[in-house]
Amino acid sequence: MLRLPLLVTGVVVLAAVFVMIATTATTSGPFSPDSTEPSGARALATLLKNHGVDVTGTELLDDAVDPVGRGDRKTLLIGPNGSLDRYDWQRIADAGWSHIVLVRPGTRALEVLAPGVHDSTSFLSSESREPDCDLPAAVKAGTVTVGGSTYSAPPGAQACYGDGINHTVIRLETAGRIVDVVGTSRSFTNEQLADDGNAALALNLIGTHADLTWYLPQFESGGVDNGDEDGPPLVPPEVRYVAWALAFAVLVVALWRGRRLGPVVPERLPVIVHAAETTEGRARLYRRSRARDRAASALRESALGKLHKAHGIPRKADPSAVVATVAARTGRDPAMLYELLYGLPPVDDSALMYLSHELDVLTQEVRHP
Amino acid sequence: MVLTGRAGLLAAAGVVFVAVLMPSWSGVGLVVAVVLVVCLVDMLLAGSPRRLQLSREGDNAVRLGEQAVVQLLVANPGRRVKGLLRDAWPPSAGVQDPPHRLDLPHGERRRLVTHLVPTRRGDRQAYRVTVRSIGPLGFAGRQGSHQVPWTVRALPPFNSRKHLPSRLARLRELDGRTALLVRGQGTEFDSLRDYVPGDDVRSIDWRATARRGNVVLRTWRPERDRQVAIVIDSGRMSAGRVGDAPRLDHAMDAALLLAALATRAGDRVSLLACDSAVRADVRRPAPEDVLPSFVNALANVEAELVQTDFRVVVSQVLERLGQRSLVVLLTGLDPAVIEESLLPVIGPLLRRHVIVLASVADPRLIELEATRADLTEVYGAASAARTRLDRERVTAILTRAGATVVDEPPDQIAPALADTYLALKKAGRL
Repeated sequence: MLRLPLLVTGVVVLAAVFVMIATTATTSGPFSPDSTEPSGARALATLLKNHGVDVTGTELLDDAVDPVGRGDRKTLLIGPNGSLDRYDWQRIADAGWSHIVLVRPGTRALEVLAPGVHDSTSFLSSESREPDCDLPAAVKAGTVTVGGSTYSAPPGAQACYGDGINHTVIRLETAGRIVDVVGTSRSFTNEQLADDGNAALALNLIGTHADLTWYLPQFESGGVDNGDEDGPPLVPPEVRYVAWALAFAVLVVALWRGRRLGPVVPERLPVIVHAAETTEGRARLYRRSRARDRAASALRESALGKLHKAHGIPRKADPSAVVATVAARTGRDPAMLYELLYGLPPVDDSALMYLSHELDVLTQEVRHP
Repeated sequence: MVLTGRAGLLAAAGVVFVAVLMPSWSGVGLVVAVVLVVCLVDMLLAGSPRRLQLSREGDNAVRLGEQAVVQLLVANPGRRVKGLLRDAWPPSAGVQDPPHRLDLPHGERRRLVTHLVPTRRGDRQAYRVTVRSIGPLGFAGRQGSHQVPWTVRALPPFNSRKHLPSRLARLRELDGRTALLVRGQGTEFDSLRDYVPGDDVRSIDWRATARRGNVVLRTWRPERDRQVAIVIDSGRMSAGRVGDAPRLDHAMDAALLLAALATRAGDRVSLLACDSAVRADVRRPAPEDVLPSFVNALANVEAELVQTDFRVVVSQVLERLGQRSLVVLLTGLDPAVIEESLLPVIGPLLRRHVIVLASVADPRLIELEATRADLTEVYGAASAARTRLDRERVTAILTRAGATVVDEPPDQIAPALADTYLALKKAGRL
C-alpha cells in the first residue's frame, strides 16, 4: 500500500526531469535569444522570427564555423563576452558567412573580421542619438538610444551613432561580406528594445537574411576538445572508479543508518489552550484600540473593591462616603482621592500609567497602613 | 531487509580495494557483487521475525505519574533469532526502555519487560512490536512487525488524597462519634447520656430525666445516607490550562477527594461528566467501589471543545436524584456562559437541591493584575481586573440565587471543596 504513492512520485519526478531537459533553452545569459532577463534578447529574437528570420541560438563554436541550412546568404550574430583565440576567429572568417554582426567585439575579433576598426577606449553614455550617417538601416530607424563601447572606423566604412570621432554602429564590406560592429549591445536587450527606434535599427541591421545564427561565445570555447591529447589529464582516470566504489559504500551506509526499527507511532495530542488566553487577548485589544477609559474603569473598580474589603465600607456606599473614609484612614487629600477613584478617564498613556501606579500604591497602603 | 555497520565497513573496504588493486570497472563490479551476495546470503540465513509468537501480560491500569510494567512473552518455533526487538507505544505512554536485545535459539521463550510511565491520562494502546533479526554473519538481516494488542489505562492521579486524613479527622469531629448537643436542621437523634457540667442545658431531655431521676441529655448526629451528585463539566470551559494541566484535571482531583470524603461520611456519591453529551456516568456505586469506579470512568474523559449544554446537565441530575441532595458542579466561572447558559436553566436544581459551584481560578490572572511595570502590563492588569470583577459579579449572582461558589486556585480547589462539604454537613444543610 506504500509502494503505489512511491511509484507515482517516481514517475512524476522522471517526467518532470524529462520535460525540463526537453524544453531547456539552448542558450542562456546576457544577450541570449532565449533569456527573458532585462539583459537578455528574447524580445529581439521573437521580433526577428515574426519578420520571417529563422533564428538559431547556439553556444557551440562548431555551429559558428559551419553554416548549415538553406540558401547561401546567411547571417552570423556573435554575442558579447566569451573568449575565442585568433585561430577560432579565423575559422569563423573562413566559414563563408555573407553577413556577420559583431556585438561589442574584442580586439582579436576586430583584427580578423573587421580590419581597420579599432576599439576606442572612450565609452558613450546611454542616451537618444541621431544616426549622423548614410547607413540605410540607421536612417530608417532614426533616433536610437545608444551607449556603450565605441569604435573608430576606417575610411570607407559607414559609421553611425557616435560622438563625432568614435561610433557605436559601424558597417564595412570586406572580403565579399558585410561586417557590422555594434558597440551598443544594451540597445537590443529586452530592457531597451522598445525605446526610440532601437527595434527598427536591430531589425534592419540584423534581419537582412532569412537565416540567422545567433552565436554566444563561451569562455572555455577554445581547446577543450583537443585537451586530452595535449597534456596529462587533470584528474587521473582511476579516481572515477574509486568515486563509483565510494558512492556504493555511501549507499550501503545510508541503507544501514536509514532503516528505522519500526514505524513512527502516531498519537492524537490534546489541544493546549491556556485559561488566561482570553484575558491576555483582551489586554492586547485594549492596547491596540487605546481603550484607556475601559482600562482605567477596570483598574478603579478593582481598587475600590479592595478598599471596600479593607475598610469595611458597605458595597453600596456613595463615592463621597468612600473618599471620606479612605482619606481619614490614609491621611490623603480627599479632593485628590476623589479624582483618583472617580475622576475622568486618563487623556494619554502616561496618565494611565500614573493612575495605575497611584491606585496600586493606595491599595498597598491600605494593606500595610 | 536491513543492513548493519559491517556491510558498510565491507563496502568501505571495497573502496580501498578498488583504489589500490583494481582501479577499473571490473573492480567496482566485483565489490558491488561481493557486498550484495554476502548481504543476501546473510539475510536468507537470518531467523524469521514473523514466525515468532508473541503475547503479553502485566498491568492494565496505572495511576498517572507511576510506573506500569508490561511483559512481552516471545517464543521462537523457528531458526535462531538474534537482534533487536522494539516494543512501540505512543509517546505519551512513556516507554522507559531502549529496544530490547534478543537472542532466542530455536524452541525457546523469553520474557521481555517494558516499563511505562504515562505522561497523560487515558488509555494507551500498544502499537506494534518490531523485530530485527540479524544473520549469523552480522552483515544483514530481516525485519518484521507484530500486532500484540494491550492497553494500559492511565488513571487520574488523585494528588489531593494527601488532604484526606485531615478532612476525615474533621469529619469524625462532627460525625456520630462526637455527638452533637444542638439539634439542627439535618441532624437526627443519636442517643441519651448523662448530663455533665458544662453541657448546654437546652439539650436536656426533661421527660427522660423525669423517668430516670438524674439529668439526661439528648445527643444528635448529622444525617447520613444523603446523596451527593458530582457533575464535572467536560466542555470547553474545562479545556483551558491552569498551571500545567487543564481545568478538567484539577476538577477531577477535587471530585475524587470529595467522593472519598463523602463516602466515608456515609453519603451516597454519584458522578456525571458531561458537555454536550454524557461522557462518564457512575450511579450510586457501593461505598468500597466509589473511588475505583470513579477513577476508571474519568480516565478517558477529555475536555471537548464544545459549549456545555446545561439543559442536559440539569435534566440528567434531576432524573437521578429523588430526595434533596447536594449537587456539586465543577465548571468554569465564565460570566457570559454562566449568565446565558447556566442561570436560565438552573432554577429547578436550586429549588430542589443544594448547589455548590466549584471553579478553578487561574493564578496567572493574579500575577497579571499585580505586574504593572510598562504600558502593556498596565493594559494586562486592567484586563485581568475586568475578568476578576466579572467573576465576582457572577459569583454574587449565583450566591444570591442560593448556590455556594468555590473559586480557588488549582492547589486549593480540592481541599476548599472538601471544606465546603464539611461546612454544609455541619450546618445540616444536606
